[in-house]
Amino acid sequence: MSTRGEIFNPNPVVFSTAKSAGRRSDLSPHSLWINDDSGSDSEVEDKIEPIDQDEVFDLIRSIYDPEHPNTLEELRVVSSPQIAIGSNHVKVEFTPTVPHCGMSTLIGLCIRVRLLRSLPERYKVDIYVKPGSHQSEHAVNKQLNDKERVAAALENPVLLDTVEQCLSNVRGNNPLAP
Amino acid sequence: MDAELPYSLSNVADLPGHEDRAWNVAWNPVKPILASCSADKNVRIYAYTEDLRFKHLDSIPTGHAKTVRSVAWAPSGQTLATASFDANIGVWEKESEVDEAGIDQGEWECISTLEGHETECKSVAYSCNGTYLASCSRDKTVWIWEVLPDAEFETVSVLMEHSQDVKCVAWHPTEEILASASYDDTIKLYIEDPSDDWFCFTTLSGHSSTVWSIAWSPVGGYLASGSDDKTVRIWRRIAEHKWECVLVLTGHDRSVYSVSWGPGKDDKRKGKEGEHLGWLATTGGDGKVMIWEVEEPTVKEGETPSMSKPPDHRLVACLNAAHDVHDVNSVVWCPRKGYEDLLATTGDDGHTKVWKIAPSA
Repeated sequence: MSTRGEIFNPNPVVFSTAKSAGRRSDLSPHSLWINDDSGSDSEVEDKIEPIDQDEVFDLIRSIYDPEHPNTLEELRVVSSPQIAIGSNHVKVEFTPTVPHCGMSTLIGLCIRVRLLRSLPERYKVDIYVKPGSHQSEHAVNKQLNDKERVAAALENPVLLDTVEQCLSNVRGNNPLAP
Repeated sequence: MDAELPYSLSNVADLPGHEDRAWNVAWNPVKPILASCSADKNVRIYAYTEDLRFKHLDSIPTGHAKTVRSVAWAPSGQTLATASFDANIGVWEKESEVDEAGIDQGEWECISTLEGHETECKSVAYSCNGTYLASCSRDKTVWIWEVLPDAEFETVSVLMEHSQDVKCVAWHPTEEILASASYDDTIKLYIEDPSDDWFCFTTLSGHSSTVWSIAWSPVGGYLASGSDDKTVRIWRRIAEHKWECVLVLTGHDRSVYSVSWGPGKDDKRKGKEGEHLGWLATTGGDGKVMIWEVEEPTVKEGETPSMSKPPDHRLVACLNAAHDVHDVNSVVWCPRKGYEDLLATTGDDGHTKVWKIAPSA
């Protein structure tokens, strides 16, 4: 975790965002993908509608970067072409803004939590940094895809709180900005 | 289930109840009970009858501040140890208070809390005689505690050999040899030297990612390991303190989270060539439970026995979606005589399931 005042990338490039495809963009953090009340309805619905990469992108594009008042989409950390999806499997590649980004594990964790809470249970999710984009690529990937490490991290109240803030979709609510 | 394989797994019990993922399950070696533990911080105890009716018996609200990751019974069957992400180990016993109806009204009590690990405790295991308790943690250490009378425990060794998170510890079934599996992709084996100091005498490398689970063969001489690299490796003892990898089993599509090696139960095997090494059960993130039959390599007439021939092996059963779409975190053979064909699994759905292996119809 970064220490106070040390921002890894003080001048990120901010991109303009594409218009949302009109899908559900107001998901509350704890909702299931299908905004129905009964679990059985959502099971029926997700058998009919397979999920595509744009829908997965919609779920993660508005996650806030931990250090800047910008979303992962605006910083080009995540993008739709970097998501691969099969019938039960999602692979998300993300690009940290700088190769030494110490926030990468946190960003990856936020992506994982958002998808865990939003996708149907059958999806296995793998999250990787874009090859060549990070100097500790292997170490970051290994942590992000270790189910036990992720579970233990989310039992750390301080870390969980930081993740929740990044996921809370409120512009300007930046947990680590000085 | 694959109809072409010689054996099938049929479901004997489906035991829900945990409110979050269930990480581990352990059969009591003596009594007809088993325990499961969960991220919901509870341990659930189930009892079973000879005709395989299972029911929930007890819940232990462990008081651990975080996930209970692993449970282990002492060989006596009297004591249960819990390993938690809160870094502590709980040791539990139940006072027997059988009432007039023959029902045990005793409560599970924490007789000791073992502190020492700095971060999450991942696994705990008793040695074959119950003399030692081993534990391991994300703090990279393996601790060995001596089990003394009156719920006393003394730290005998703190082993700092791994370079990363230690995921699992397992004791040899008959000797005092300890194995540990780690996020550093290796397995280490430890014994006591003549002055009673524990040390690592060998490191088994070969997996290309985290080793999640290890299991010793019941007859000794072999060790199985399951890894994040989706393979299961079999290691053979080739000299007193030398082990080498003799087999790599593939078939899982995602991380292998748990392996368990049972003696097997099959009268048809008697008289067959090659020493039967039992059944290895493996499971993981792909939701499959695979059962492998392993044998000492057969030696053809005129051939000298070669220590470098890998063991004969074949897949004898495969169960898909054991816990529907959920990861299966733990698979364990029942250690009790007469129940060698029973297997328990727990998964991310919070259920504990019991399976019976039998020849396919």
